[in-house]
Amino acid sequence: MEPQMKRWKGSVCDADSLVAYPVLSDEQSQDVELVEAYAAPIVNKKETSRLIRELHGLYPLNGLQHIKRVRACKGKGSPHPLEVLVCRISDAPDMKVASIDSLLPSDRVNHDGLGEPFVVKVPTRPPLTRPQFELASRHWPTSFHEDKQVTVALRGELFSSHQKAMMHMYMMTALTAANAGKELGMEAVGAVVVDPVLERIIAVGHDCRGAHPLHHAVMVCIDLVARSQGGGYYSFDSYTACKFTPANSNMCEGDSQPYICTGYDLYVTREPCVMCAMALVHSRIGRVFYGSASADGALGTKFKVHAQKDLNHHFEVYKGVLCKQCDHLDILDHSIRKESSDGRE
Amino acid sequence: MGTEDGGDAAFCPKDAEIETWMAKAFDMARDALENGEVPVGCLMVYKGQVVGKGRNEVNETKNATRHAEMVALDQVLDWCRRSNLDVRSVCEQTALYVTVEPCVMCAAALRLLNIPAVVYGCRNERFGGCGSVLDVSSADLPQTGTTFKCVSGHRAEEAVEMLKAFYKQENPNAPKPKTRKD
Repeated sequence: MEPQMKRWKGSVCDADSLVAYPVLSDEQSQDVELVEAYAAPIVNKKETSRLIRELHGLYPLNGLQHIKRVRACKGKGSPHPLEVLVCRISDAPDMKVASIDSLLPSDRVNHDGLGEPFVVKVPTRPPLTRPQFELASRHWPTSFHEDKQVTVALRGELFSSHQKAMMHMYMMTALTAANAGKELGMEAVGAVVVDPVLERIIAVGHDCRGAHPLHHAVMVCIDLVARSQGGGYYSFDSYTACKFTPANSNMCEGDSQPYICTGYDLYVTREPCVMCAMALVHSRIGRVFYGSASADGALGTKFKVHAQKDLNHHFEVYKGVLCKQCDHLDILDHSIRKESSDGRE
Repeated sequence: MGTEDGGDAAFCPKDAEIETWMAKAFDMARDALENGEVPVGCLMVYKGQVVGKGRNEVNETKNATRHAEMVALDQVLDWCRRSNLDVRSVCEQTALYVTVEPCVMCAAALRLLNIPAVVYGCRNERFGGCGSVLDVSSADLPQTGTTFKCVSGHRAEEAVEMLKAFYKQENPNAPKPKTRKD
């Protein structure tokens, strides 16, 4: 499949501007949720560790394990150096006016070193991404187990220029396949499966639903990958733009046999539907890159099948890759379809 | 049975039909189990006639999408071609009888082909697309065919027992599980 590589070399130079936005789970992308709580100043620093211990005994803050019990007061004008979280308002006993006496029975917590309570808002969930962490920290400090790759991906700095050039080339190949399918009267969707380690295209496919209603580009590619491994059920030989590279041509001794789509990346011009997204889970795809979002899309729009709890395989998804070209494909496709159906009536 | 949304009367298999066809589906599942295959039995019935049936063909095709339902749907399409009948009008009157809840992928495929009714035995907690993992059968997906009606729970315990018996054996084709979970 060298020809595509050469053919698109001219456009590789603008690959540096290529973008790929990570499609994160709902938990990773949601806003920071806050709950009201009582905090109190620590006026005598020496009492801090005792206060933490006694407060923890009385109000263990179950479900808020990510919250730091004590925060430093950064403002220079602050009369006290530290503040401690006492309890959620919902944990506190009924009282007319919040006071340390009503919040903390003196037989459980010795009030020495504590000032009068005030209301703060604290994040209810542990932050999962750096943006969530930064937003949460504005309210009250939390712990944060950073996934560095997600942070870098959100900054748009995950891929090197070489990787971007390859991604550009792969998506251009998918676009070419989409156009080939369109010429045959299929929907303008193309897909490419790649071995990112060997930097090799394993399969190229396009939508074939004119011949079989379930032969979406992704389903076609999955069967072509099976063909490349000596399996496969369908024959797409009559579609010249649908092709595969046999897995064993080029394999070194000691290389493990490929197993379905394990370790492979998929490039597809349009966000996969539910069927195709779940087919990718079953096929254990490594990563998915797509161009345009689709109305019923299952990798970000309607569902996030790649991050769905309970499923036995999860994968990374990036969207917006060459989205202008991919959107253009969709727009053309819809206008052609509209024209032809208008013509029929 | 009437419909709220107008149009044709809702297509729904009767109790006697369910009894008959599910018995056949369970026979298929038991056969599969005895041959060391995934114990799922599945058939598609149009006007009292079996127009498609399938068993899981994932291992021999190395294509992880070759679930019994996908195989059966292919047979329905072939049957329409051979009988020179319109796919959509046949599918709209075809019910699926299957021993286990179809997975998310198969549920979406059934929608795309406008299958109106699915009768199944037990839930599929790992992959189910009719409510267990996602509810694809009734989700608002205007570009993904039509929603379908589910009749669930027929001989469910028996279906579960067969699956348990199968999963006690190992899948020799699957890669060794990694110790560290991501």
